[in-house]
Order: sequence, then structure tokens, then C-alpha cells
Amino acid sequence: MQQGVELMLYGMGTVFTFLALLIVATTCMSIVVRRFVKPEPLPAKLVHRQPVDENDEQLVAIIGAAIHKYRSRNK
Amino acid sequence: MDKLLALWFDSGIYQMAPGQLVMILVGLALLYLAINRGFEPLLLVPIGFGGILANIPGAGLAFSAVENAIYSADPVVLSALAEVLNLTSWETGKDIYYAYESSAAAAHVGAEQVATDNGFMNGMLYNFYTVAIASGAAPLIIFMGVGAMTDFGPLLANPKTLFLGAAAQFGIFATVLGAVGLTALGVMDFSLADAAAIGIIGGADGPTAIYVASILAPDLLGAIAVAAYSYMALVPMIQPPIMRALTTEKERRIEMVQLRPVSKAEKICFPLVLLILVALFLPSAAPLLGMFCLGNLMRECGVVDRLSDTTQNALINITTIFLGLSVGSKLSADKFLDVNTLGILLLGVVAFGIGTACGVLMAKLMNRYSSTPINPLIGSAGVSAVPMAARVSNKVGLEANPHNFLLMHAMGPNVAGVIGSAVAAGVMISLVGG
Repeated sequence: MQQGVELMLYGMGTVFTFLALLIVATTCMSIVVRRFVKPEPLPAKLVHRQPVDENDEQLVAIIGAAIHKYRSRNK
Repeated sequence: MDKLLALWFDSGIYQMAPGQLVMILVGLALLYLAINRGFEPLLLVPIGFGGILANIPGAGLAFSAVENAIYSADPVVLSALAEVLNLTSWETGKDIYYAYESSAAAAHVGAEQVATDNGFMNGMLYNFYTVAIASGAAPLIIFMGVGAMTDFGPLLANPKTLFLGAAAQFGIFATVLGAVGLTALGVMDFSLADAAAIGIIGGADGPTAIYVASILAPDLLGAIAVAAYSYMALVPMIQPPIMRALTTEKERRIEMVQLRPVSKAEKICFPLVLLILVALFLPSAAPLLGMFCLGNLMRECGVVDRLSDTTQNALINITTIFLGLSVGSKLSADKFLDVNTLGILLLGVVAFGIGTACGVLMAKLMNRYSSTPINPLIGSAGVSAVPMAARVSNKVGLEANPHNFLLMHAMGPNVAGVIGSAVAAGVMISLVGG
């Protein structure tokens, strides 16, 4: 019984201490990383994607056909 | 006629012991739960089938070569074994088996040699168990896969949810105390190592439970693994009543602030920070958390997508098959059909309940003192069981407030629970096993 209580105290103590340390370490790491690493240029990728003109008519035709089919199915 | 008799004596029906029949029925029940009820089918199908295979009479699939030699009851082999073990008087194979169990290392080697010389071999499931679980390999490989499937983003956005993962581990230690208490009262018979292995069920983490049980209490491994995986499947039924009982309607409606975006660099650094802390403060948790960090680093670093893909799919699936069969091999009648198994099943559900309750109470406490609101429902996700427990938090939250999506907020404590139970496992192994 004594051993069980001891195990519980030491165990919970270690778990809390370790995770508290992890919180401190993670927070420090996040602060350092955010200061020194510049945020990824996310929107840059989107700019490159210009719709290609020649496909437009084809695309319109395909979408039109799909809408038509959907409507006729859901009458 | 002699030939017919020989065939009859060799048949399963003749050799079937009542215990084996019951265990085959238990295996079939596990298969039913897995196939028809969808209880953790990925594990319970191989475990249930392994349990049936292990109890096929006369096949000896779960036995070592020496055990197979003893159970064959061939007088020539038995006397050879008795000679190696320095046993002067013996009546049945049982006497020889006990002598083998208590003999020194040199006699063990001798007995193994006698069995091999007489053409006895380790059973198939025994070999799987030796390679997959006794070596510690399979649970660790699965933990690497879990690491590769885990996204630490929500945790990094709100690191204080790690405390919820810590609080929920109280279930583990309360159960250890319960098991020790039951032994002190004379109801059950568990050693401290057994109690520690049973408590880990409350961590709601299959691979961790199997890893700890294989080190601290290999005899109870079958029951512990079955309890751990069954209760993980029962999380959506066990948790909500506890969560509702401990929170008010108003608390359940609390909406949490949007999590900040987490950069890729932070996600890459996190497993390394965790690994350094483990190396500095808790080396006994290094096998579990080391493999976990490796898996997570492979996922986040983005340059080894092939390895990450293999770890989270092919490798974890292959390992699961052998892990399940090996656990099944431990479902033998003499170990499983015991009042202690009932105790394990009972203590396991208590562990789950206490862990859930402590997580919720911790979240209530943090809500009182924190600058940003915290919904107490995410506390219950601290018992790992990824991602089921987080989904339960989300579902109970939606019942109170249909516009409140807690899933991402609950994933933080959920993965914190995985780290927490691995830390608890490390503490148990170093305090009890060492």
C-alpha cells in the first residue's frame, strides 16, 4: 500500500514536472523560431496559377454539360 | 483398429481440455465484437484469431520447444529432461515443468537442447511473440507510426493544453493504488509490477500498455491488451456521462478562440525539443518517445515522404498483424480464466473514468484562471485514445451548442495524452522494473 502511494506521488510529480518543462521549452522554441524564421510565402504559390486561355471554352462547355446533367437528374 | 485409435487420440476432440474450449469461445466472442460491433477491428481480429489458434489442443502453437516436449508426455523425452534438470523423482510432466521454471540458466539451455534433439520446435505463435513483443519491437514500431500520423499543430498553438494530458494520467496512478489496495484487502493477488502494468490501461494507449505489460507483467499481457483495446472502443460510451456530470450546461457552451497558425519550422523543431528533454530528464521513456519523435520528424520534415508514408501505412499494418497474433498467443486458459482477469477488466474501466474526470476538472480549473476561455469538455481528450476521445469532446460540445466546433482544440490535449502516458510508462518502468 505504502509503495502504491509512493508510486502515485512520484509518478504524477514526474508527469506534471516533465510536461511543465515541455510547455516552457515549446513556448521558448516557438518564440525563437517565429523571430528568426520568416513566415512561408504562402500566397506566392497562388499568383503563379493563371488560368490558361485556350482551355476556357472547353471548360465552360464541360461545366455547362455537368450543370445540365445535374438539373435533368434532379427534376 | 490401432491406427483408428491413434487418430482418435490425436484428434482435437479427444485432447480438448475444458479451459481450452472456453478460451476458443472467448476468441470467437472477440471476433464477434470486432466484426459485428466494429470494436477496434484492426487489433481484435488478429487477437481473437490468435487466441483461437493458441488454444487448439495438441497443436502447441503458443508453446516453446520445451513446453511442447513436456506436453507430448513421451516417457523417453520426459526422463531425458528430468536428467538434465537434476530431478531425481517425478510423476507427471507438471513436476518437470515446475523444475524447469525454477532451474538455473545452464539447465534451461540443456533442456532446450534435449527438446530440439528430440524434434520438438517452438510453436509458430511463440516465435511471433518472441520476435514482436518479448523483444519490445512491435509496440515501438507502432508508436513510430502513431508519431508519423500525429499533427502537433493544435498543441503547439496552445501549449498549456499539455497540462490536460498530464492531469488525465492520474487515472493510471489511481488504478495502481486500487490494484495494490485490492491485494492488501486480500480480494485479488497483484504484485506492484502487476499493478503498474494494469494501471497503464488508463493511459488509453494500446502500444504503451503492451510495452509496459511485456516488461513488468508478461503473464497478464493477454488480459491487459484485450482490456485496453476493448475500452478504447468503448470511449464514446464511457466518457460522455462523466463529462456531463462534471460540467454545467453553460460551461459546455463555451466557445474557444481560433488557434493561431503554426509554421512548418516549429513543427520540425518540436519533436527535437521533446527528444532532448527526454534524453535529459527521463531516459527510461526514451524507447517509446524516441520512436514517436522519429515518426513525427519524418512526417514534418517533408524530405522523406516515402519513409513517412511507409511508417504510417504498410509498416504499421504489418506490425499490427503480428502484434495481434502475439497478444492472442497469451490468451491461454490457465492465465486468462482467473479471478485476476475480472479484476483487470474492472480496474481498467475505473482507470478510464478517473482519467476522464481528472482531465475535465483540470480544464475547469484552467478555465477559471486563464486569460482565454477554455471549454472543460476538451479535458476529457487528455486520456489519449487518439482521435476517438477528441471526437467525443467535439460531439458533446455540439450537443450543447451547435456552432461550437471543439475538435481542433481537443486534439491538443489528445496528443498531449499520448506524451503523458508514455512519460507515465517511463516512470513506472524505472521505479518498478528497475
